[in-house]
Amino acid sequence: MTTMAHGQTEMEIAAGRARENVVAGGALVRHRRASRLIHWSVAGTFFLSLLSGMPIWTPLFGWMAGLFGGLEVCRWLHPYAGSLFFILSILQFFHWLGDMRLTEGDRSWFGPKAFKYMHHEDFPADPGKYNGGQKLFFWAVTLGAIGLLLSGLIMWFPLYFPQMIRELAILLHDITFILFLVAVITHIYLGTAAEPGTFRAMTRGTVTRAWARLHHPGWFQEVTGDEARKR
Amino acid sequence: MAGQTLEIKRSSAAMWGTHTGIRTTPTVAKYIDTTTCIGCKACEAACQEWNDLGTVETHQTGTYQTLPKLDAKFWNLIRFNEREVDGGLMWMMRKDQCMHCAEPGCLEACPAPGAIVQYGNGIVDVDPSKCIGCGYCATGCPFDVPKFHVKTGKMAKCTLCVDRVEVGLEPACVKACPTGCLNFGTKDDMVALGKARVDQLNKSGFKEAMLYDPEGVGGTSVVTVLGHGHPEWYDLPVDPNVPVLVRLWKSVLRPVGVLAALVTAIGTFAHYTKYGPIEPPSDGGSDEHPN
Repeated sequence: MTTMAHGQTEMEIAAGRARENVVAGGALVRHRRASRLIHWSVAGTFFLSLLSGMPIWTPLFGWMAGLFGGLEVCRWLHPYAGSLFFILSILQFFHWLGDMRLTEGDRSWFGPKAFKYMHHEDFPADPGKYNGGQKLFFWAVTLGAIGLLLSGLIMWFPLYFPQMIRELAILLHDITFILFLVAVITHIYLGTAAEPGTFRAMTRGTVTRAWARLHHPGWFQEVTGDEARKR
Repeated sequence: MAGQTLEIKRSSAAMWGTHTGIRTTPTVAKYIDTTTCIGCKACEAACQEWNDLGTVETHQTGTYQTLPKLDAKFWNLIRFNEREVDGGLMWMMRKDQCMHCAEPGCLEACPAPGAIVQYGNGIVDVDPSKCIGCGYCATGCPFDVPKFHVKTGKMAKCTLCVDRVEVGLEPACVKACPTGCLNFGTKDDMVALGKARVDQLNKSGFKEAMLYDPEGVGGTSVVTVLGHGHPEWYDLPVDPNVPVLVRLWKSVLRPVGVLAALVTAIGTFAHYTKYGPIEPPSDGGSDEHPN
């Protein structure tokens, strides 16, 4: 009934996938199912908000309104999609908070190290489950989600707020959105094309040993107990 | 929205121009002389009737004023203000409605294509079928004019009776005014009329009398003679402008945002072509379990 694979039974592997930071079969479980579901709901509501908000933002993207049945529908849908996005973002925030505390080593990421990383020149000696850039992104999008919610609520019910507050709200919503969009494009690029083997962490939940050893040697060691080899 | 025979000079959220540029239409304007207004509210009644707005519940605020401010179902409001000037009590009435700005903040802020238009003759009109009820127009308007119907969320305001004007009639309020304090014609004629009246007032003791045609919004198609000067005494902004933040997010942030997204997208592609993907080395890539 069960076959032995890598010293674990299929059932043990299946059980392993429900947990995180464990070895399951030949792979390491990076995100358990709950994490992946939360992240996909955040991503889904983000794109729903993006596609329903951009035609209101500028007529250049007016054609997106057709996806939902017109601009009036977008105006109705966008605040609900956005609110849902915020709620799920906060859920995700608390779900991942434990891994996202900034360490002394992460500090270097706020400088030229991030560029060196992008140029494949220099990696932090000991990145754990998340590197400084990922943590920075985590905190930035959390702040961004709060900014979008606060300004969005004012824009949702404009007539309850004074004119100056409404003007500032639209300004804040715009700036936050632009930064968010730029960050998310980069996030998706890094998670797919730029770093093969990463995307499956969000689909199957697992990464290969080689991937973990390369990108997150500290985490690799923690999970497997193996000494991380120098690259 | 009734101006079916009029050319559209400007439209909200338009990607490109809306005007042929073939013909020039004179700008029209309404003239209001606050010094000869007797506060009879005939204009209010005429507006409700012509525009089929029905009746609204009035609010007693201790003056003769019908409502505290304009409403989606009340586009023409006489504002009654009292003020002590040089020991005497001044009773000032001013007809409040859409000012039909040459540079309309509502139109500039509106994100729905064609929901707010400015005709060739300067009249600013709203098309409820295209209005999405977002309220941006109210944020862009320095005169607090656009109001929203509670049930539909659609914006409504004075159209300067464009349906009458396009067939050669004057607006309903002007038609109804019994004292001649309202007039209608080309902007040039109405400004000339206003200047002559201000001259007359200046000579007869109203030293601060002025013609209100604010430059900050490019001038308005409603020119108002203020007997005592001081626009703020009449609940008018002294120097109205399209809010600078509206101009900022509309004219600066949007192109910047689109550019930023484009640059990032192209940047990731350029990065991929130059540095390529970073893949785990094959020698260290054994998926064998160590045990």
